[in-house]
This record gives sequence, C-alpha cells and structure tokens, in this order.
Amino acid sequence: MAVVLLPSLLAAEAGGRNRFELEAGTLGEALRELPVANLVLDEHGDLRRLVNVYVDGVDARDRDGLATELAGSETIKLVAAIAGGRS
Amino acid sequence: MSVLVLVGTRKGLFLLESDDDRREWELAGPVLTGWSIFHAIADPRDGTIQAATNSEVYGATVHRSADRGETWARAEELGLPEDTGLTLEKTWHVEPGREGEDGRLWLGAAPGALFRTDDGGASWTPVDGIVRHETRDRWHPGAGGMCCHSIALDPDEPGRMYVGISAAGVFRSEDGGETWTPANQGTAADFLPDPFPELGQCVHKLLVHPARPERLWQQNHCGVYRSDDRGGSWERLEGNGLPSGFGFPLALDHREPDTAFVVPEESSENRVTPNGRLGVYRTRDGGSSWELLTDGLPQRAWGAVMREGFSSDRLDPPGIYLGTQSGSVFVSPDAGGTWVEAAAQLPPILSVEAAPSS
Repeated sequence: MAVVLLPSLLAAEAGGRNRFELEAGTLGEALRELPVANLVLDEHGDLRRLVNVYVDGVDARDRDGLATELAGSETIKLVAAIAGGRS
Repeated sequence: MSVLVLVGTRKGLFLLESDDDRREWELAGPVLTGWSIFHAIADPRDGTIQAATNSEVYGATVHRSADRGETWARAEELGLPEDTGLTLEKTWHVEPGREGEDGRLWLGAAPGALFRTDDGGASWTPVDGIVRHETRDRWHPGAGGMCCHSIALDPDEPGRMYVGISAAGVFRSEDGGETWTPANQGTAADFLPDPFPELGQCVHKLLVHPARPERLWQQNHCGVYRSDDRGGSWERLEGNGLPSGFGFPLALDHREPDTAFVVPEESSENRVTPNGRLGVYRTRDGGSSWELLTDGLPQRAWGAVMREGFSSDRLDPPGIYLGTQSGSVFVSPDAGGTWVEAAAQLPPILSVEAAPSS
C-alpha cells in the first residue's frame, strides 16, 4: 500500500484526513483516488502547476510525472509550492 | 427578521448578522480559510450558501453549505472541455436561478466561461453558447483575467438573461442561454482602435433592475451607462456630479428604477477613490445627476471597492453594503442616507451580499 500525505488545506477538504493508504499502479492512479483529486489535478487530468508531489522524497516531475510507477510501499507527499504565496 | 451578510475576502468568508434595523452587527468566521472568496450568496430559495472559491495552488471551484457555513461540500464536476483548449482559471460569480427553477444556478468564470448546474451545485455544465461563442477570438482578458463576472436574469421572461465578460462586453440570450448576441451599442472601448466596436468592451458590472427589467445599468471601464431597451442601446451618464467614469461596483434600489449607486475610482491608471475620500455616489434621476453620500463614510481615505464588493438588499428602505480593500464593511440601512461601519480590519474584501435570514 502506498501512503499519501496531504497538507492542511487538502486535509480539511478531505474531511479532516491527512493520510490515505491506497493500492495504485501509478502516481496518477493514486492521486485520482483521493477525495481531493480535483484540487490536485485540473479538469484535463494534469497536475496543477503549484502542487508538488514527492515520491519517497523525489519530485515526481523529475521522475515520470503522473506515469511514475508505484511498487506499493512508497510514501507520497503533496506540498504546495512556495510560489503562489501572493497576499 | 434578521439580515445575513456574506463577506468574501482574500482569506476566507466572514458572516455578519443584524436585525432588520441593520445598525448593529455581529461578526462570525472566517470559514473556508485558505480560500479566496470571489463571491458568495445565500440562495434566496433555500438559504444554501454558494461561494466562488479560488486558490493559487489548488485552482478554482465552488463550495456550498446548507448549514450557514458549519459544513461544506465542493463541486464534483466543474471544468472546461478539453477540445476547447481552455482550462478553468477562476470562479467569479454565482447567480441563483429563478423561483421554481429548483437546483439551478449559474456560475461565471474565467477564461470567459459560463456554467449551469441543475443539482444545486454538485455538477456544473459549461454553457456552449458562451464557451464556444463565434466571436471568442475577438475577446481579450482585462487586468483581472477574462472573467465572466456578471450574470443577470430577467425576472419576467424565463428565457432572457445577460452576462458581462471583461473584455468581451455584454451579451444577451433570449433562449435560456443557448445562444448569445453582443449588446454593446453605444458603450465605449477607448483602448481599442475603434472606440465603439460590436464587442470587446470592458464591462465591469452589469445589473438588471428588478422592477423594470428592460432597464439595465452598467459600470464600465469607460463610463457609467443605462439601457432602457434590454441592452439594445446604451446612454453614457457621467458628469453632473460624478468625478470619474472609471470604477467597478454598482448597486441598485429595488424600489426605484431611476436610482443607482457607484463608487468611482480616479482613473484606470490610479485606482483609488477620488479626492482622498471614500466616495459613494447616488443618482435618483436615471443618471442625469449624481450626489456624493458622506454621512458615516470616511472623508479621508484612499479606498478601492471591488466589483462584487457592493450590493443592496430587498428591504424597505433597502440596505446598501460596501466592502473595501482595506477590510471595512460599511452599511447604509436607509438607501444611502447614513452609513455605519459594520466590521473593520478584515482581510481585503472581494464581495458583499446580503440575504434575509430567519
């Protein structure tokens, strides 16, 4: 089972849960299973520009993006980019 | 009877409540923390709060609450079709459907998009007549993006409605939103080579008068206008007391079709209220003359009021509500005669809307 960890705003939108355990073959499949999928991905299924996703500490954009394959034991951490902090 | 005012800010939604005297206010919130609330309404049909919510990180959506903000649900389906090449950027305005149109609401969004829901806000369907409009390649974004910020329903004709899009202009539909025709004759676009084009005008706010629905009012980038023929033609109204034609907000008196309120800014280049005061201007003669309202408003201020930061209620006399970028809410319980500061030191205010509340 992969573990997905959410930042506070996404956890609030997920009914207060910040940790999900999911069975998924790829990162994209894992994110689409989340109850906040439409906040992480846009309507065309692309990862939002200012959402960073780290798979076992490595930026998914430096791997295969949403096609990054999961073995099932990864920790997936979602983080809001430090850009986008406009007042 | 009490009055609930929803105050959308850059950092969450606040709720103000008063009795119908509207002079003493209780502040609650914020709720929806972390979200910018571009516009929020309490649906007059069932009291459900609908909020156009935006995040720089997590995108644009709509939240709704059936329990006055205690718990929230988020739109499940909201987006633009992939074949349009468009991606939803911001949600700007929520407009409830008419009495009897249960579950129907309209949503204005950027880039130049209109949506409709028939299930109370769970799923929103793009309105093809706007999203795929034949003139779309002649639309351009204003400084705030290509926002569909005004949606006005004719209260008497079920098929007739209007939208205002910056900078595409005003469009009218006679068939419930299926097809749309530009309605900009007489409104200026001083920033274009042709100052009176068919479309491309930068409308800032558009309202239909509820008691005389053929009468429309418009605050535009280039002037204040009135139409008495459903947008067929427009008359420019500033002068005679109005210090500037530039501004964003607009409010009406539901009893008096000749009365309107605006909050001008000095100019497009210097977006503060003129003459160093927070100036609300009222006309009672259809725009022939304007008077400055001062009683209870700051007389030393360099303010700004966003397009949704100004509204009126349906009581008699109507309350007028104004929220500033400096975080103050001013309320006039007597149609502009006197004002009280209902809240201060809030985050920058993006919208104010009042609703009856039992």
